[in-house]
Amino acid sequence: MKPKKDDQPRIVGFLCKWCSYAGADLAGTSRKKYPSNLTVLKVPCSGRIDPLFVLKGLRLGFDGILVSGCHPGDCHYQTGNYRARRRIALTKKFLEYMGVPEQRVQASWVSASEGTKFAQVVEDVVESVRAIGPSNLFNDEGK
Amino acid sequence: MITKKVSKKDIRKLLTAWNQECNVIVPSRVDGVVGMAAWDNQDISFLDWYRNTVIPPKSCFLPKSEVMMSFKKNENGLKLEVPTGEHWQVIFGVRPCDARANAIIDHVFAVTYDDYYYISKRRNTLLVGLSCTNPYDSCFCTSSNIDPTESEYVDLMFTDIGDDFVIEDFTGGGKALLNMSNTVKKVTRADIDKAKEVKAAAVGQVKKTVDMEDVDRKLRSLFNDRDYWERISAKCISCGICTFLCPTCFCFDINDEMIRKEGARYRGWDSCSFRSYTKMPMENPREEKWRRVRQRVCHKFEFFPMNLGINACVGCGRCIRLCPVNWDITQVIAGLPVEAGVKSGK
Amino acid sequence: MEKELRDQAAKLLEEGTVDFIVGFAAGTLKHTTTPLITGDKDATSSLVINPFISNNLATYALEISGRLGIVAKGCDSRSIVSLIQDKQITRQDIVILGIPCSGLIDLKKVEKLSGKERDEIDDIAVVEDKVVITIGSEKREVTAATVLFDHCLGCELQIPQEYDFLIQGPANEIRDNEASREKIQELKQMFPDQRWAYWKQQFSRCIRCYACRQVCPACFCERCFVEESQPRWVSPVSLWQDNLIFQAVRAIHVAGRCTDCGECERVCPVDIPLRSLSKEMYDLVGEMFDYKTGMNAGAPPLMTAYELTEVESLIR
Repeated sequence: MKPKKDDQPRIVGFLCKWCSYAGADLAGTSRKKYPSNLTVLKVPCSGRIDPLFVLKGLRLGFDGILVSGCHPGDCHYQTGNYRARRRIALTKKFLEYMGVPEQRVQASWVSASEGTKFAQVVEDVVESVRAIGPSNLFNDEGK
Repeated sequence: MITKKVSKKDIRKLLTAWNQECNVIVPSRVDGVVGMAAWDNQDISFLDWYRNTVIPPKSCFLPKSEVMMSFKKNENGLKLEVPTGEHWQVIFGVRPCDARANAIIDHVFAVTYDDYYYISKRRNTLLVGLSCTNPYDSCFCTSSNIDPTESEYVDLMFTDIGDDFVIEDFTGGGKALLNMSNTVKKVTRADIDKAKEVKAAAVGQVKKTVDMEDVDRKLRSLFNDRDYWERISAKCISCGICTFLCPTCFCFDINDEMIRKEGARYRGWDSCSFRSYTKMPMENPREEKWRRVRQRVCHKFEFFPMNLGINACVGCGRCIRLCPVNWDITQVIAGLPVEAGVKSGK
Repeated sequence: MEKELRDQAAKLLEEGTVDFIVGFAAGTLKHTTTPLITGDKDATSSLVINPFISNNLATYALEISGRLGIVAKGCDSRSIVSLIQDKQITRQDIVILGIPCSGLIDLKKVEKLSGKERDEIDDIAVVEDKVVITIGSEKREVTAATVLFDHCLGCELQIPQEYDFLIQGPANEIRDNEASREKIQELKQMFPDQRWAYWKQQFSRCIRCYACRQVCPACFCERCFVEESQPRWVSPVSLWQDNLIFQAVRAIHVAGRCTDCGECERVCPVDIPLRSLSKEMYDLVGEMFDYKTGMNAGAPPLMTAYELTEVESLIR
């Protein structure tokens, strides 16, 4: 990740190829305005998400992680997002227990036709992360 | 030779005097774990409870992770920084087993080869030994020909004779330490006699013994006995506890870490017990556990004596005390089958 | 109990039903036991059952080939069932020798209570719901609940449900569910950044020996994520950040496979309170998905199963 030149929150978003990524594309082609703080990484399915991605993102210095997939029942691979849901739920709750503010790990269901929703999700996530400040979770003392 | 003594009541003053000139490192309990840490200028209660640490003093010279160089990208390019030598330090409470182990590791890092990182710490360190009078049931130093009160490999050796510690001084550094404080007194004839008693008794306190005679030859004859090694290694779980806590183990790995535009090259501990230790693109010569266990035992008791003439095990017993499955090297050595007509060839 | 176990084990080897027996024998140090893995029927006379048989022998099912007769306490039997659910072992290859368990003694608690170290204590004996600690001529009696492992105080299966042979014996119920979760409750009273600071401090001690991972039957990956170099998720260097990430991810990866056997915390050489992580995950799994590891060999593993609607409140 490039070093920060400003104090904008940096969020990394793991978007599933078939729904959320397409939804993000739609937001773009519809010229919806939404914050540019999101770095998008495309995954074939939200079921590909491993808690490793979330922790690696936080380790690299991202202030927030967003995982987005198809709505339950609409997964291109049938059941991927059901598995993702369990994994994300445990990841979120467990990291909260360890002391990671809950706003840093967020998830959404965005379908390919929900350009507006996508823009709104990004807006909400960025603002919620901005409210809790930059992440210094993995900083050493004095950094 | 025992020449001086210091009263237990004056230990705090002595350590304080040393603390003016160098960092004093003493046994301490951090979250319940016995280790070596910087003295807080106050607490000497460790004199009551200290037996031995979990992590051996090798970690003062070969830490579990250390920066070899740090790098940072800036407008002009890349800025490299190498850590400079350490401040003088005194480690108080080194047991003879660990002192001998330090000497063995010195062979690897400071005799056959000059390891900058090791030497920059080792050279600035004085070791103050403490005679061992309360060994664990896992200790077997005497079987490695180590007297629990020996003083060969330290700068000063303290032995507890009741109200006082008698001190044997050896090196110039040791003498310098003693000269820093007027709490150090001359020793009397009675003190020396008492110390001799304590030292003799200490040897008898080490209950676990094993005959190390001819271990290297026995191991050599067993090298290809896969059945034997599979039986012996069955319960091992291939963690790194024995290797990391062994005062003579020194395997390390080097890794570069970088986040954004800055990072460092680290050296850290590695273990031959890990399955991936010898993993290479084409193959892994020690994929199977029995091969790794064989390597560990033979390295300590056959290859080291063969190559350097020293038995690399000092009998500190940490591997036995902390092994999750109570794998016991003394049991293995005692049980080494002695075949009739042991082949002494390779 | 021991006689019945030894006879049964010897019989299994004699009849060729199993290739190896995996059980416990007396250790070489005071108040310890060690795993006994043997194909020799005479060696079965060394099998013991006592309050120090803490290892979870299910791990050996993963690496020893052939038919195994495994001595299993309740938590161990659940680990075996969980491995069967994950299709890592087949039921036919395992003969489960179930033993009822009244709880195991935590030597660290005994040391703390008596002010002496393990090898300075002459005897530790369980007498019904009391434990008698003998040091020299001094005998001290304490309630068992004060010296049993935290995970034993919160035990959910004292007698294995899934077994081939069940050794007859008592299973005294000594419970203290509050004490079992005390450390976790303390952590939950703290603010999030205090909790994070706590874990940061704990993981500064970690030496990455991986004993926690190696003893754990739930960790059965051929290649652990920490060994992955492309991409490199976690540094192999024992920096607190990477130590913490290793444990956090490990806890999530074994969710639904962990049976709270407490081995991870027992074996840690630098006393990191790992059960404060694994037990919390165990409870989360129970709360969120009403799932208990290893209670039903036919059930799908937790993380492959799903309900059509669940935990929706956490998703936007």
